[in-house]
Amino acid sequence: MARVVVDPVTRIEGHLRVEVEVTNGKVSDAWVSGTLWRGMEKVLVNRAPEDAFWVAQRICGVCPISHSHASAQSCEDALGIKIPNNARIIRNLIEAAQYLHSHILWFYTLAALDYVNPVNALSADIADTYALAQAAGTRITDFGAVAARLKAFVENGQLSIFTGHEGWFGVGAEKHPGYVLPPELDLIATAHYLEALELQAVAAEIIGIMGGKFPHQMTSIPGGTAFVPTEQKLDDILFRFTRVKEFIDTALIPDTLAIAPYILDAASFGGGCGNFLSWGVFEAEDLDPYNRYLPRGFVETSKGLTAQEVGPDDVTEDVDHSWYDVPSGLNPKEGKTVPKWEQYSTSGKYSWGKAARCKGVPAEVGPLSRMLVAYVNGRPEVKSIIDDTLAKLSAAAGAQLQPTVLVSLLGRVAARNLEAKVVADWSIEWVNELIAALKGGDSSFFVTDRADSGQGAGLWEAPRGSVGHWMTVEGGKIANYQVVAPTTWDIAPRDSKGVPGPMEQALIGTPVVDSERPLEVLRVAHSFDP
Amino acid sequence: MAQEAHGALHDLLAVRGVTRRDFLKYCGSVAAMLGLSETMAPQIAAALEGAPKLMPALWLNGGSCTGCTESIAQVDTPDVATIVLDYLSFEYFETIMAAAGSWAEKNITKRAEEGGYILIYEGSVMTGQDGNTLFVGGGPENEGAKKGIEILEEAAKNAAAVIAVGSCAVDGGWIYGYPNASEATGVAAWLQHKGITTPVVSMPTCPVNPEWVVAMVVQLLLVADRDPAKFLQVTPMVKVPYTDAITGEKVTLLMPKAIYGQTIHDNCPRRGHFENGEFVTELGSKEEAMGYCLYKVGCKGPQTFTQCPVTRWNRRASWCVESGAPCIGCGGLNWVDNNSPFLKRMSDMRIGDTFVQPGTIGAAVGAVAAAGLVVHGIGMKAAGRIGDGPPMEEMKAYDRKRLAKKGGDK
Repeated sequence: MARVVVDPVTRIEGHLRVEVEVTNGKVSDAWVSGTLWRGMEKVLVNRAPEDAFWVAQRICGVCPISHSHASAQSCEDALGIKIPNNARIIRNLIEAAQYLHSHILWFYTLAALDYVNPVNALSADIADTYALAQAAGTRITDFGAVAARLKAFVENGQLSIFTGHEGWFGVGAEKHPGYVLPPELDLIATAHYLEALELQAVAAEIIGIMGGKFPHQMTSIPGGTAFVPTEQKLDDILFRFTRVKEFIDTALIPDTLAIAPYILDAASFGGGCGNFLSWGVFEAEDLDPYNRYLPRGFVETSKGLTAQEVGPDDVTEDVDHSWYDVPSGLNPKEGKTVPKWEQYSTSGKYSWGKAARCKGVPAEVGPLSRMLVAYVNGRPEVKSIIDDTLAKLSAAAGAQLQPTVLVSLLGRVAARNLEAKVVADWSIEWVNELIAALKGGDSSFFVTDRADSGQGAGLWEAPRGSVGHWMTVEGGKIANYQVVAPTTWDIAPRDSKGVPGPMEQALIGTPVVDSERPLEVLRVAHSFDP
Repeated sequence: MAQEAHGALHDLLAVRGVTRRDFLKYCGSVAAMLGLSETMAPQIAAALEGAPKLMPALWLNGGSCTGCTESIAQVDTPDVATIVLDYLSFEYFETIMAAAGSWAEKNITKRAEEGGYILIYEGSVMTGQDGNTLFVGGGPENEGAKKGIEILEEAAKNAAAVIAVGSCAVDGGWIYGYPNASEATGVAAWLQHKGITTPVVSMPTCPVNPEWVVAMVVQLLLVADRDPAKFLQVTPMVKVPYTDAITGEKVTLLMPKAIYGQTIHDNCPRRGHFENGEFVTELGSKEEAMGYCLYKVGCKGPQTFTQCPVTRWNRRASWCVESGAPCIGCGGLNWVDNNSPFLKRMSDMRIGDTFVQPGTIGAAVGAVAAAGLVVHGIGMKAAGRIGDGPPMEEMKAYDRKRLAKKGGDK
């Protein structure tokens, strides 16, 4: 038995620490800690309810759009505001742009280096690389130029963000056995890594156009949107969505399918708690959360693949292992935030994160949850892409894969990329929906009428998972504000009953080949996009 | 060979379909941002392309949302890959670096011992709960973990210069907003408090605008010959004094003048509507479709000193006011407390250091205000416009009282 620690977990948003116990080459126990506390909820109290839209999104610089939308919805729910249809579509589009931005960034910039060894790419044969790219149906680029540039970069001796790589990736005999891709695939992925940096920025430009800037947008203000599109801007948006969709079709999806056969063992671990929550995202015209493009629902796989109804009252937060001096088991509506640091101890308190629970049990959130809930609800776009992918991977695995195989590290990685494809297709549809609405003469974007007191919740989905904002307004001022962020669900510590959180459970059972370089631990942690 | 003549950057740009003409154009805009003549563009291009040895840099995240890192990923050509691979050697950059855990932490200590680097700091300095609101790098049972403030101090001590990027690093940002329960503060205040004399350049807005960071990198490479001390000598700075509530320090922040020397209002494309008294009074309305001024729905452009309307955001795609939203003044100090409620217009409108009322423009301008307007280059010929402009917004009683004191005629 040995304790292995990864602190900091790099290539994520925020500060995360993972401590695991390794027994006979496998993780036998795990403790996941949020190591930063800032106090957002307290800053919002006593301010104008609309102001939360701007401030609360600054919880997360990678998913601010989703926080801004959850905040706006909590305000609208509390004050009885129904947003105009144009605002609904515009918010869906801004949200979609963030999803595409975030999923591209996650796969290529944050997670890829767990699977792709750019140093190994130096030994790629360029002709073979073209042949492999063609066979995989993935995007062709000037692979020779990328290889030359990589070579110059490595020979320069200043490795920038790859500094320390000689320890982490390893070279020669020290090469980490977890990096199993052929050098040609490493080169393709590295070339797309560089291209992805451009494409994530193109997706973010869409938010820039409709929301003023990204990160931290300006226009989805409670009441609707401040953005009034012109024909020129609609063109600019459509052009960019089309470009991003093309990259997803020609690189993200084929790359996923090309890499997956090399890491099929990742289908056998990393599944976790088996409970999946989605608040639902991308509003349909009827504004019904169960009818959202990706619908609301809660799946407990131990009770079978069916979705239960779920709502704001099903959430509680325990703090037995978190540094807060408040009672456990409160619903966020009554939630309190009183920080109180004490010694870190895996048998006592070890995280700034609260242990969020849904219907009393830990719940995984994120693309895998959304895709599963949509799948069991029979959402056609989701059902066909999952069935199609399972068929392709079954051929590679030489065995018929069932949907339950998604509850794994590989499933979590794949679900995110498949979701990107589904959202990219919808985004084009929504731009056309907006154009049609405007041509039809709808010129309403914002409603000003609102109550001055009330209590409400905004339950929505960030790319990385379910986000809930709870707001109580008294006399035009915020009396209480609570946030349950996506990461709060996934990196939750143990609860009052001592049950580990979703990432902790996913880590347990994960193989660790080299405890000095626990690559597999990092893969599981990153798969949540924490 | 092209590679020898132009360096790796030239090839890279060619691969990406960026022509030399585009690149020079970009360098021209960087020159403008730096307050240099656009004729400097070829020299900027040469400095960027030459890049014989990368400048070592550490990028540390304090109490951050990672939004400033995200923002850097949204930089225009030359893009982030270029910055990372061709100008700066980021030996620590939590969000994008390959290594993790102790393998990553070693890089900070090693570089801090060797010196000769710039430190870029994102996020607030977290002092609350005895500094335990942020900790990193412990072993089993958190043995040997360092507090965020300790890492900042270690990395800042031997740095040639510190660039505090984003409002959180500048003065604590939104986290510093009342009640500041995590006792967040800014980098300059904390280092002064700890007696660390490494110079700090402050670059607010939430997040930081990536083009401005690139402009500073160019300034460092080109004008200052990679010498951070010279960089501070030759870069004109605005000096912004404030008192930090957490440390009690009286701090003078240094902000690059080319970026933080003028108000948003000074450069706003909607400025003409302000002077004509054409205002948006309801968000998302037909007045918004006509691009009227957002002052009446709370725009903080007149009191916020940044270059947003010129640089714009997301590779120049747009910016806050163009999208129809009032500026919330995220580039100001203690911006959440000072600028909220964001949708209410300020009872005092500050243009530069002078308080004025919009009602005064085109109607009656007090002597002090008029001087202020001229100094800040409000583009109207004051004398010619007084009295014959279109109807202005309705004047509040509060405003009338203040105007009377200032000698206005209403």
